[in-house]
Formats: sequence, C-alpha cells, structure tokens
Amino acid sequence: MIPLRIKVEANAEQPFVVRLRSFEAMPGTERGACHPHDVCLEAVDANGAEYVGEGGSLRILGIDPSEIDGDVLLVNPQRGTADRIIRSSSPHNTLLVTERCDQLCVMCSQPPKKQHVDLFEHFAIAAMLAPEGATIGISGGEPTLFKDQLLGFLARVMRAREDLHFHVLTNGQHFDDADREAMHALDRSRVVWGVPLYSAEPDVHDEIVGKPGAHEKLLSNLAFLCRVGAQVELRTVLMRPNADGLPRLARFLAASVPFIQTWAIMQLENIGYARQNWSRLFHDSSSNFSPIARGIDFARSRGIDVQLYNFPLCTVPLPYRNLAPSTISDWKRTYLEACRDCRLRNHCGGFFEWHPKEHGYAGLGRAA
Amino acid sequence: MTNLWPLRFREFADRSLLFADDAGGFFKSDASFLDRYASDGLTSSDKEFLRDSGHSYDKQFDLPWTSFAYRWARRQSKPQDLNYVILVPTLRCNLACGYCQVSRVAETARGFDWSDETLKAVLAFLKTIEGSEIKIEFQGGEPLLRLDLLEAVRDFCRARFSSAQFVVCTNLQHLDEAAWAFLEADDTFISTSLDGDRETHERQRTHDRARTTTFFSNLEAAVARYPEGKISALPTVDVTAPPDFEALLESYEKYGIRSVYLRPINHQGFARKLDQGENALARWNELHADFIDLLIERNHRTGRFMEEYYFSQCLKRVLHFGADNHVDIRNPNFFAADYIVVDHDGRFYPTDEARMLSRIGRIDLSIGDVTSGIDRSKVQTLNSGAFNHFDPDCIHCAYQPFCGTDVVDDISRYGRIDLPRYETSFCGRHLAIFDKVFEVIYRQDEASKASVATWLGIADWDISMLAVHS
Repeated sequence: MIPLRIKVEANAEQPFVVRLRSFEAMPGTERGACHPHDVCLEAVDANGAEYVGEGGSLRILGIDPSEIDGDVLLVNPQRGTADRIIRSSSPHNTLLVTERCDQLCVMCSQPPKKQHVDLFEHFAIAAMLAPEGATIGISGGEPTLFKDQLLGFLARVMRAREDLHFHVLTNGQHFDDADREAMHALDRSRVVWGVPLYSAEPDVHDEIVGKPGAHEKLLSNLAFLCRVGAQVELRTVLMRPNADGLPRLARFLAASVPFIQTWAIMQLENIGYARQNWSRLFHDSSSNFSPIARGIDFARSRGIDVQLYNFPLCTVPLPYRNLAPSTISDWKRTYLEACRDCRLRNHCGGFFEWHPKEHGYAGLGRAA
Repeated sequence: MTNLWPLRFREFADRSLLFADDAGGFFKSDASFLDRYASDGLTSSDKEFLRDSGHSYDKQFDLPWTSFAYRWARRQSKPQDLNYVILVPTLRCNLACGYCQVSRVAETARGFDWSDETLKAVLAFLKTIEGSEIKIEFQGGEPLLRLDLLEAVRDFCRARFSSAQFVVCTNLQHLDEAAWAFLEADDTFISTSLDGDRETHERQRTHDRARTTTFFSNLEAAVARYPEGKISALPTVDVTAPPDFEALLESYEKYGIRSVYLRPINHQGFARKLDQGENALARWNELHADFIDLLIERNHRTGRFMEEYYFSQCLKRVLHFGADNHVDIRNPNFFAADYIVVDHDGRFYPTDEARMLSRIGRIDLSIGDVTSGIDRSKVQTLNSGAFNHFDPDCIHCAYQPFCGTDVVDDISRYGRIDLPRYETSFCGRHLAIFDKVFEVIYRQDEASKASVATWLGIADWDISMLAVHS
C-alpha cells in the first residue's frame, strides 16, 4: 500500500504546508522559480532527505525522495509526521475537511468523530500547489457541515486556479435556498457533487443513513442542486437492504432525478462500520447480479449514464463490464492470488486492500 | 393538493391508450382511466401511479416539479454554434440517376463549379466560424470531379480548426490515384449511395452493366482498404418498385455497414417530377414498417444486429431526452444555426432540400451568399415555423414531445406551411413511425426485445421497463 503519512523532522511549532521539489532531474532549473511554500531537496543520506525552503528546513524519513517529488505535505511538527495531502503522481487526492457527520450510515467507511480542526487555510494553500489540471476530492465526515468555509474555499481556489476541478462528497442534507448565490459563484463545470441516495423508499434510505427524515431532505436538496445547475454524481452503495430495490430506484431516478450526470452503483468497502456489519450488508453481486442488471438497463434506456464502482471485473457479467472502470484508489488497491494471471488485471480495479480473505464472492475469477 | 401535468392520449389498434405529457413521460392505460382522468374522478391508486411516474407534483420547485421542468427543457433542441458545413463545389456529375435529388448537370457543362472568387469567399466564410471543431460534407454533383477544390478546403480547415472531419459524398464511379490518395486520410470519410443489390442499383442509378461493375469494384476496394466506420451508405427507395430488402441488408452487411438509413425518393429536386402514384405515403409507411419487422426477424435469425437509422433515432427520442443529434428530427429545428449549405454559386441554403427546391425555381429559399453573408431576416421567417409547440394540431398529439417539423418539406409539397398538420406528409410519416416504435417496444417476443435492446445500446429490454396502468 502507498504510505499517505510519512515521518518528518521539522523545527516549528504550528502545522504548515509545503510542496517538495527535487531539481536533480531538471538541470538548469532556477531556484528562483520556487513558490514560497516550496522546499527543495538539498541532500540525501542513508536515513532520510533534507529539504530547504524560505521558512527553514525539513527532514523526510523512510521514503525515497523520487517517490514524493511534487507532493504537497501538511506537516505536523509536534507529532513528527506529515500527511501527503496531494500526491503529484496520483489522480486520487482527497482533502478530508472534517470528521464530523450528522448521519451514521450502517456501512460508513470512516466513522465520524466529534472533534473538528478547521484546516481550510492549509487546504487552500495546498490546492494552489496542486499539479496542473488536477481533480481534487473533498470528503469527510460531512463537508457541508462547514458549508460557508467550504463554498468560500472552492470559490477562492477556483478563481486562482482555473485548471483545477473538484469532486465533493456530501450527504446533501445542508443546502438551502440562501446558498444559491454562493453556488452560482462557482464555475459549475468544474465541480461535481457526489451525493448518495440508497433507495426510492424513504424508510430504507433513512434506516441506512441512521437519520429519520434524511430522504425527504435529500430529495428537496437534489431539486436545489438541479436548479443551481450543479453537476451531480448520484452514488448508491450496494447492500443487502437495498439491492432488490435497485430497479425501483432506477425508475425513480428517470422520473424524478433525471438531471444527474452519472448514477454510480458502488460495491461495499470492508472497513469501518461495513466491516462490523459485513455479514448482514454484503451483497454478492457475482451470484446475484439480476437486480443490478435490471436497474442498469432501465436507467440506460432512459439515457442515464450508469457506472459500477469498486466491482472486480470478473464479478460483473460480460455485457456490463464496460460500465465498470477501475475506481479503487491506487493507495488502497490490491489484487488476490487468483488475479495473478488474469488478462483483465490492467483494466480491473481489484479489491480494497482491507478486503477480507473470505471475500464473499461466489463467482470470482470467471473472467480469467 | 396534487397537481397533474396535462396528458394527451392516442388510441392503438388493440384499443389500448397511450398517455403522454409535455416532457415526454408516457404510459399505457385504458378507456376507463381516460374517463376518470377526463371527469376528475381519479382514484388514489391513479394518483399514486401518476406521482411515482413523474406526472404530478405537490408544489412549485419541489423535486417532481423541478424534474419535470428539467425533462421538458432537455427535450428542446438547443441552438448550437455553426459546426457543420455542406459544400457543393460543383453541380456536375458523371451519373444521371433517374430521380436525381440534387438537380445535377452534365459532366461537361460549364459554369456550375465554384469560381476562384467563390473558393476564396468560402474560405473567408469558414474563417469566421468561431468554434474549434468543424465537419465539412462535400456534396454535389460529384465532388471528386473537383479534387482541387476539396484539397483547398481541407488544407484550410486542418490549419484553421483544432479538429476537422471531412465527408465526401461520392458515387464512387471514377476514382483515380489522386482521389484514392485524398480519401486515404484518417480525417476523411466516404458516404455513398447503395440502393440494394446489384440489379436495383443498376436500375435506379448506373443504368448499364459496366458502370455498375465499376461502382461495386470501387466500393469493394474501399471496404478492403479502409477500417470499418470509414464508409457509410444510404439506400434510396422507390415505393413503386421497392428493392428486395433481404438482399439490400445482405449487401450492406457484406460491406460492413450495419446501420441503414432507408430514404424514400425525396420530394425535392428532379424527383418532384416523378409520379409516385396514389397513396405513396401509405405505401411508404407500410414498406418501412415491414422493413423494421424484417430487421427484427433477421437480427434474431442471424444474431448479427443491424438497424434502420431513423427508426433507432425515433426510438431513442421516445425513451429519453437528448437524442437531438440528427437534423431531420429535432425540436425546435432552427435554420442556419449549427449547419448550413453552400451551393456551387456560393449561395447559402438552410438545408440541402431547400437548395434542391430553389434549384427547380419554385421558390427561392437561399439565405444569402458567401460574399454578402447570411440573410438573417429570411432565416427568422423560416424559423417562425421551425417548431411544433404551438401548432394547433401538434398540441393535441401524444407524439409531440418526440416529434419535430419540416418547413422545407411542407413548402416543397404544398407551397405553404399552414396546412392542418395531419394533412401533411411529414405528419403522416411520423405518426406511422412512432406508432411502430410503440408497437415494437410493447412486444413481448424474444426477437423484438433483443433488437430493441441492441438499438438502445443496452443489454436487455423487457416490457416491465414500460409503465402500464390499469
């Protein structure tokens, strides 16, 4: 697995953001071209690498500098750690803006916590340092619990960096009409809002997200997102409580939520609460793909784009495989022993690193 | 209080009724539902069904209201920037098809090609196009007779636009080394006419064995030489002497073309002079419907799926919004917006049909020329009839959200555009095609379901995917 947190030594009190630069490979590059938040590789020895910038020096331990060139770090000098919040070589960079959430989903991969530290200032600096044309994910917890800061952050960064795109995961519970102006201020073509809807049935949805009334609020806010012209990626995590309802959900989307860019049907991630609840939640799509197939066919017949996220290709029947891109982020992706000689491996997202050995798929490996 | 969006209805031969709203939402039901709907006697199960299917809302701006507004809006064809230009560098042709749709002149005629000044003005006009993408269709006459003009336009567009595509509409009768070399490029495509099997093609187009042999050997050479997708073809069908459709499909499949756009002999150009007999429309509709049934049966039999392009387009327009990529059916269909035609004398026309109609001197539908620019006031006059929303007949028709209009066809046939819509050929043809679409999608046999699925680009199609309310 790709390490997201690395050991550092820095002589400072408060957390700060830097971008690592190594000019060894670029002879003739002027140091003057550096951004004030850049630190440049000065020396490498057996234990670590020394970087120097305007604000002082930073020592990185336990990782080859060539693997982290261009990365943006949020350094916590007290703890002696740094989070690689933007990895220059990866298309999967996500800023975790809070761990608080007002929902308590049965399969939450990142169970919420009460405490919150506002890092928007650091995130704004980091985003400004992101590689050209990057798409930056925003996640939580629930990012829109800090809606004003979030929308302000997006507006500010998008104004300064017209090449950047954002993908914001939100439960859609906290928008209201007063946000129209702030939403209109964003370049809508560069922000996709990933919003989960698990069922057409209010009870089923509310039960899954652990919040009575969530379905009703979500529907009204989906209408809001439509009216402000937001791009919506509607996300449905596949689970036993909602699997059989997918065809009905597809009909509901075509009639009532036709403005989505994509309907993403997502296979379950075995972490957080989903791990605890695995046996009652995991739907083996390799042995029963039928409700998924019927949902997909209906939605696509009505012109809705459907994608399958986090499905190993061999668990998806052939006619639907072209809808299953490799979506598991590089740093949490792995393949099983059975995948070793699979000819589809390069196109397959594989498994989450933490997927159990008893993977639960009866029909694994048929694609090989 | 629940508010219902208005429903229109149409009765089918089996007495079932189709109901459709302005946004294209539809379902099948029966006469008793119609009674309840018309007499304000809807039951709670009626209301529940209508709410679940997106035909009602509680209050303005709620999700059902917003979604309906969105679906309605997306069914309107948005005007786009000019990105498609049909060029007629010459009207001369080396064939004389009996029903020539484009009013050709003899190969040796003089004064029917672009002059140097016209070429210059055409290039200057292309330079004014703002977008970064362009598609150029070379029409004729036979455009390959003036390869030099084609070269000049292509060189110019490749330099001017970041993405440029070229389609040469050619009869493939005379291909010298220079023509082959021109067609070789990856950005250049071939469109030709193939009326069916050898016999039909010879009867309708080439008129002698040697020319027929040349055509087929050139077509075969092109198919062998280029990847699939490089060559497209259209058959023109004479309702008084239709081709053997099975042979036509075989012929197309043999050349790797799986999408066939069946066209009736057009009413424009010289074809106007042909007597197509009584009930030409009814006969066409029957032929077309039979062709769809043949396709379904053949697809099922061979497992190799082919489609009738226009039928697939109408099928998609019934089931979802956004199928606006064909200029023959979209609503509104504003003229001189995303595409325009430049004739051999540099005159602009809104469509190729308008060019043919003007050529025979019945009416002048030109809209300016490459030197003086587009005549916007004339375009606006044509645009005033370019949508069906307020037509006194269309507003009652269940197919209105799926359908379109054709001002030029109306002028061509009737000399006016204000006929009762149901008396027009356009309306008769589209009522029949949408009737066929609805007949086919509600069928339950495996053969029909498999073809519908393939035409829609999905894995499986089933009647359970359609709303029926009783």
